[in-house]
Amino acid sequence: MQRNKQVAMGRKKFNMDPKKGIQFLIENDLLKNTSDDIAQFLYKGEGLNKTAIGDYLGERDDFNLEVLHAFVELHEFTDLNLVQALRQFLWSFRLPGEAQKIDRMMESFAQRYCKCNPGVFQSTDTCYILSFAIIMLNTSLHNPNVKDKPAVERFISMNRGINEGGDLPEDLLRNLYDSIKNEPFKIPEDDGNDLTHTFFNPDREGWLLKLGGRVKTWKRRWFILTDNCLYYFEYTTDKEPRGIIPLENLSIKEVEDKKPNCFELFIPDNKDQVIKACKTEADGRVVEGNHTFYRISAPTTEEKDEWMNSIKAAISRDPFYEMLAARKKKVSSMKRH
Amino acid sequence: MGAFASLMKGMFGSKEMRILMVGLDAAGKTTVLYKLKLGEVVTTIPTIGFNVETVEYKNINFTVWDVGGQDKIRPLWRHYFQNTQAVVFVVDSNDRERIGEAKEELMRMLAEDELADAKLLVFANKQDLPNAMNAAEITDKLALHTLCNRNWYIQATCATTGDGIYEGLNWLAMTIKKKK
Repeated sequence: MQRNKQVAMGRKKFNMDPKKGIQFLIENDLLKNTSDDIAQFLYKGEGLNKTAIGDYLGERDDFNLEVLHAFVELHEFTDLNLVQALRQFLWSFRLPGEAQKIDRMMESFAQRYCKCNPGVFQSTDTCYILSFAIIMLNTSLHNPNVKDKPAVERFISMNRGINEGGDLPEDLLRNLYDSIKNEPFKIPEDDGNDLTHTFFNPDREGWLLKLGGRVKTWKRRWFILTDNCLYYFEYTTDKEPRGIIPLENLSIKEVEDKKPNCFELFIPDNKDQVIKACKTEADGRVVEGNHTFYRISAPTTEEKDEWMNSIKAAISRDPFYEMLAARKKKVSSMKRH
Repeated sequence: MGAFASLMKGMFGSKEMRILMVGLDAAGKTTVLYKLKLGEVVTTIPTIGFNVETVEYKNINFTVWDVGGQDKIRPLWRHYFQNTQAVVFVVDSNDRERIGEAKEELMRMLAEDELADAKLLVFANKQDLPNAMNAAEITDKLALHTLCNRNWYIQATCATTGDGIYEGLNWLAMTIKKKK
């Protein structure tokens, strides 16, 4: 259970910063620090953002290159033609746009393709150069920033001499051209942008009433507590939250109000500071929150207690916060003496 | 567009300019490319492939391609080198270790016949870093003074903030207009 949570957190970290995410997973013994294991993890890709995978695989250092090779080795290209194989390959991650990265990736791809399909190309270099040319073609034909779209003749002449000094069969090049022209490479779908992963398996969820920050009215909101954050939604079916409240540095206490079973989130020792949080406006803009405290009312006393306990646990689970609190305590006690 | 407007556009209107952007890994090419887009609403549909951006500046339509890779794939680029008016070479001014490698890359590029008439704009990038070599030092390390018959210019930049990028484009725009 705890392990699953940590893996989920590692995935999220990966999507924000691939290197840090991998490091986190390794440090927590969730992933072995070998190129094969990391490649497996990326190839499975569960919950991972494909752009982040592409960024990781595109890095120039030796270890990332090793992972790239291992990653490519996991693909099966036997009996696929070159474009089919490329389509499959380019679906497993988002190809970065930097020429050097594309170059390394196509070289790796070609080695694997030729290994799966011996005899199709005279040499892996031919396959590699042609694969690179296909990416150039896809860019030229389908990127709206490229104004002069090449005709098939230009594609053919561009590829003169790439077959160990000789030419590839014209039919082959025409077929490739038509295939790319009729069907651009698809942008791979992202797993990582899907917030359902974030809200899957929360610490606690339920309906609560929340007092407005500026306009003091009570609104019924669906709350989800997960990963030291409190999220609230207008409807249970909403994909994206209306508001996000990171629980870092906050405290919680019971309060009396006209509404029953109330508790409050606040910044200890600082009443007037606005709590670091964000919310989505009706027009979709994401803006900073304007609460100096969050007052929340639960339907029953039991639920109030359960929520308060869960939130307390979430708050104190952050070791950094504990460290900070300890230091603050020390400083203030020193002042007193 | 009416006949008059089209005539005006022909006389004073935008020129097309094809630019190749070259530089070692992590020199900052992608950042430069995206900084060019600043202030414009980017609504282009994403495409699998090389980074290509267009930007209109001083009535010139710049199309900038990220180009590079090993020598083996250079024959492919040659077709794109034709009708290329300028090369933008981005160099990481902070990377003293690889400056020699950068020079080699630049010289290899400039040796291409198709690029004989292309202007050269060097972006001495990452000037915000404390250990960065200044433009004069980069000029020296890249041996720009030894270039014969080449119209070149070096501009100190910090791509993350955008400093210097438009000054560079400005030079390109002026040079191109003077020529025609």
